[in-house]
Amino acid sequence: MESDSQLVARAQSGGQQAFAELVSRYRAPVFRLAVSILGREFIPEAEDVAQEVFLKVHRAIESFRGEAEFSSWIYRITFNQAVNLKARVRFRSPHADETVLYQAVSPGPGPYLQAETAQRDQALAECIQTLPEVYQSALRLYYWLGADVAEVAELIGVPENTAKSYLRRARQLLHGLLKERGYSCD
Amino acid sequence: MEPRETEIDRLLRHSLAAPIPSLPRDFDQRLMRQVRRSSQPLDRYRRILLTGYGLISVVTSAVVMRGQGLNWGAIAVMILGPLAVVAAVPWARRATYTTRWRGAK
Repeated sequence: MESDSQLVARAQSGGQQAFAELVSRYRAPVFRLAVSILGREFIPEAEDVAQEVFLKVHRAIESFRGEAEFSSWIYRITFNQAVNLKARVRFRSPHADETVLYQAVSPGPGPYLQAETAQRDQALAECIQTLPEVYQSALRLYYWLGADVAEVAELIGVPENTAKSYLRRARQLLHGLLKERGYSCD
Repeated sequence: MEPRETEIDRLLRHSLAAPIPSLPRDFDQRLMRQVRRSSQPLDRYRRILLTGYGLISVVTSAVVMRGQGLNWGAIAVMILGPLAVVAAVPWARRATYTTRWRGAK
């Protein structure tokens, strides 16, 4: 299997097959990173981000000098593209109603408990939105998208210990924010 | 993990549990179609036409501005200034992305 740098060199010479191979290799992590930043209510926008990222990479690949890893470069483009889009879609209505999403995963035994759990989950989602972007992304990658700490670190471009401390700090902040809103985490 | 972290960890695992989305199957094909379209070089005739149009525009602008009494220095700034801004935009955007990426961490 060719390395990223070999594929990049071929793509820089105009090899579209090499670029297609890079797309195939990175489509999933780029999409996961975009989704982790935008949130599950904006899946179509995350698809647009993924497409835009690869088009940008294709246009700029000749100027890629290899000072950083190709993966770091493409993830940085993805992060910036998703954050820029998030600022624009923030005031639009999401495609799916959030309460429906939370009620769907609330297994409480009775309607009262289900409603309480759904409210707490909604409060949690709102609290997550107030965290710094990298914390939000780390949480969604880890708890929703099933990434391990190493993958979280690679996607958001930090050392593994930093990713661990982001997750730890995010959990601590959320605990405090939920308590302020009167929710118990038990 | 501290006890309060364990609680929030459990809450997050429950609350964020949802089907993991994936890209459509034809994502690669659609993307490569767009890539191929944008890669098609302008044919020679179109390149010559655009270059000629650009040169004629610059010369005409210079003649008109000179006729209005502007000196050659001012004419050079008026013609080359916008070109320099257009050329600098990709550099500025790259610098902004790098700053944002570092700032977000």
